[in-house]
Amino acid sequence: MEQKLRDGAKALLEQGKVDYIIGFEPGSLKFTTTPLITRDKDDIDRLVINPFIVNNLSAYLTELEGRVGIVAKGCDSRSIVSLIQDKQIAREDIVIIGIPCPGLIDLSKIEQLAGKDRDEVDDITREGDRVVIVVDGKKQEFPITEVLFDNCLGCDMPTPSEYDILLSESSPLVTDKTSSRKKIEGLKGTSQEERWSFWEKEFSRCIRCYACRNVCPACFCKRCFVEESEPQWISPVPQWQDNLMFQVIRNIHVAGRCTDCGECERACPVNIQLRSLAKEMYDIVDDLFQFKAGMDKEAAPLLTAYAVEEAEDFIR
Amino acid sequence: MKQESEWEPKLLGLLCRWCSYAGADLAGTSRKKYPANIKILKVPCSGRVDPLFILKALRLGFDGVLVSGCHPGDCHYQTGNYRARRRVAITKKLLEYMGIDPRRIQASWVSAAEGGKFAEVVAEVTKELKEIGPNQLFTPEGKGYGAKATGRG
Ligand code: SF4
Ligand code: SF4
Repeated sequence: MEQKLRDGAKALLEQGKVDYIIGFEPGSLKFTTTPLITRDKDDIDRLVINPFIVNNLSAYLTELEGRVGIVAKGCDSRSIVSLIQDKQIAREDIVIIGIPCPGLIDLSKIEQLAGKDRDEVDDITREGDRVVIVVDGKKQEFPITEVLFDNCLGCDMPTPSEYDILLSESSPLVTDKTSSRKKIEGLKGTSQEERWSFWEKEFSRCIRCYACRNVCPACFCKRCFVEESEPQWISPVPQWQDNLMFQVIRNIHVAGRCTDCGECERACPVNIQLRSLAKEMYDIVDDLFQFKAGMDKEAAPLLTAYAVEEAEDFIR
Repeated sequence: MKQESEWEPKLLGLLCRWCSYAGADLAGTSRKKYPANIKILKVPCSGRVDPLFILKALRLGFDGVLVSGCHPGDCHYQTGNYRARRRVAITKKLLEYMGIDPRRIQASWVSAAEGGKFAEVVAEVTKELKEIGPNQLFTPEGKGYGAKATGRG
């Protein structure tokens, strides 16, 4: 896949079909990648595909001028489609290089299984539906579903349906929808008061860095409500009440755009369980309106569309 | 300290100017009695209601919020109330999941001719809010911080 990606990306630049290529290159730390944004075909050989290509690169699309070739996993391609639905980008300006995604590896799950910090792990390799972890020269093997991100386990579309180039036929992803919602169901099993204090505790840690918003491709507003001062909707002081309110509103604003890519939770420096909000909203929208974000570029965005007969039982 | 028995819920009404606000007006001019717990804010259309307004009201210490607009098919702008319906629906669900009693978020269709219905809705909602009790979500008891300290704007 990697060679096909590099050949394809190089050709796109050489033929002048795109101004930029956005993809992944190895990161400075072990088992990480970092976004590569380039106009130079000599950089292309740095492009990689591996189980650590976590970023949803579509967040850059609204910031770049010109035509862009972008490497996209299933969820990323849905974010792109969602941006097209919202008229934030034009389909003809984007060349989608689709990766049928086998799922991404969550290093914190690896650390738990290996009982070691990621720095002390020597190697992580995927072999079919198993993962092999090497620590101190010792090999350990686990089913791949034990180390994939929760959002990958719940993936609705590992292989992009919207693409210009597809790097292979289909994805070998093994999902596990129950594990994917495990944390959420755990919360739902507690009382109203317990749930509220859970979120109070989570948001007491928030430092309002806005990393969650900045990585989110669905958060494309040029001016966010948190920065408005007339009126000032929420206090800029990071206290839990306002932190919580910020995140709730953010999740409501991205409802029907959020593809459960998991980036918000990964970006959060204080490990707030943000996906437990995003994924729940994702499922609420699906339950009430049979709407999944970014599935059909012709569909109207969730919050601007309606059906005459729908979810009414709560209205007096 | 106020006595518990004296406590009266505070309800924010976000009423569309074409139907529900006119309905509230009619309730007044036809001298219908309804609880004075509702504070009314006129909005151009129920479709103007960003869920942000609902959260802000709860954050400021309102015990409940009522979003009210024209009946389906009667929106002055054709589709505003349908959009409001989707927004309120998802807001209620998410807040319930987070630990907020969903009865704090209410919605109704009240036309300009339904003064009586408006009075009934306010009475019913007020009664429910009394059952739930004061909103202390953002102002944990005894801490005395929260809405007042930071709710400017
Ligand atoms: S809210 Fe989180 S999971 Fe959803 S699209 Fe944004 S970054 Fe991805
Ligand atoms: S990334 Fe985490 S700490 Fe930063 S604003 Fe978002 S929730 Fe708060």
